[in-house]
Amino acid sequence: MRGGSASKENEPIGTLSPFLSVVARHTIPIMTPTRVVLADDHVLVRSGVRALLLAAGMDVIAEAKDGRELLACVRELHPDIALVDLSMPLLDGFEAARRIPIVSPETRVIVLSMHHDPRYADRAGLLGVWAYITKDDAPDRLVDAIRRVATGERLLEPKQTAPETLSPREREVLQLIVEGKKNVEIADVMKRSVHTVRNHRARLMRKLGVRTAAELVAVADAQGLVCLAGPRGET
Amino acid sequence: MTIRVAIVDDHRLVREGLAKVLAATVDMEVVGACGLGSEAPALAAETKPDVLLLDIALPDMDGLDAIETVRNAAPVTRILMLSMHAEAEYAAAAVDRGASGLVGKDTSPELLADAIRAAAAGETLPVHGALTPRERDILPYIGQGLANDAIGEALGISEKTVAGHCERMMQKLDIHTRAGLVAYARRIGL
Repeated sequence: MRGGSASKENEPIGTLSPFLSVVARHTIPIMTPTRVVLADDHVLVRSGVRALLLAAGMDVIAEAKDGRELLACVRELHPDIALVDLSMPLLDGFEAARRIPIVSPETRVIVLSMHHDPRYADRAGLLGVWAYITKDDAPDRLVDAIRRVATGERLLEPKQTAPETLSPREREVLQLIVEGKKNVEIADVMKRSVHTVRNHRARLMRKLGVRTAAELVAVADAQGLVCLAGPRGET
Repeated sequence: MTIRVAIVDDHRLVREGLAKVLAATVDMEVVGACGLGSEAPALAAETKPDVLLLDIALPDMDGLDAIETVRNAAPVTRILMLSMHAEAEYAAAAVDRGASGLVGKDTSPELLADAIRAAAAGETLPVHGALTPRERDILPYIGQGLANDAIGEALGISEKTVAGHCERMMQKLDIHTRAGLVAYARRIGL
């Protein structure tokens, strides 16, 4: 039921019903609130950012708590902006950012991270991310970045493609190993066979020159291949 | 009765977002906020909040160390720690130092409000699964990716003893693989 069209002449643009805002997109696109999907594994952070964006007149159409949920939201809703945290369970923000243009070419990715490490911003640029905002930036800066990216302005330079040591699948397996998942659980999350997971795992260990899973985690973290954000912030 | 809350968190977006969320809660009022641990005592002394939310990861000092300075500056203020992960390790240390408890940032706004109400009423939040001192000794070695025999050698105890400690830690922390335990050890960075 998306009625209420009787009063549409009097309704301010900002509060159009979902049905009417679809119509408005094609006639007066500049007045349409920017549709944002918000991904962060911390509920309190999501609630806070959502409150800030709503106050700025933006439309937070969905929230996701991990990278896989985010991809599902984006595939279904095709938001203007995906606001993506980097350290997220099951699939991190990097891998999600890499896949978002594949499932929804019109969606532009903005990273919202607590990490200041320039390597992270570089890697985000390499993946085609439009802006990189840190969580200690002012709310105005975030709102401004969303507005500018929504109008097509890139705030993060796309970097030259550097040779990636690990394949996307290997990165996926690595993250799930780091999260303490067993091969059979990893296979379940990735919807692949245990055999395939074992192969990825063996290749990962060979590439990083380690013999045990424990060494794999220690080396991957030391090389910055995974985001192990702890309670004390950056690792 | 309205509960007066102040917030100490270095991430401005999180701090201001949280303030907006709490301000929308009927029985709460946000009376102040700051981003540094060194600013927390003055904030507490000036605003005398019922509850101070104190982030554990602050850029200028350990949030745990800020507990004492805040208590000295505003003895009536209850302190509730905020953390990215509700690690029992930190919850126990925070309560030891006089905080009312620790809340993870993956808590819902409703549960945070409940914790604030409990703290304001003078209650201490329960702590589950804290590690023993011996387990805490072993953890940094695990974080380096070492095997049990190498850890035993470093600490002058048997491989079997190390294995026993590891098993108990994994049980307590609900971790099911060695890789998961290594990641935990590196994350909490003892």
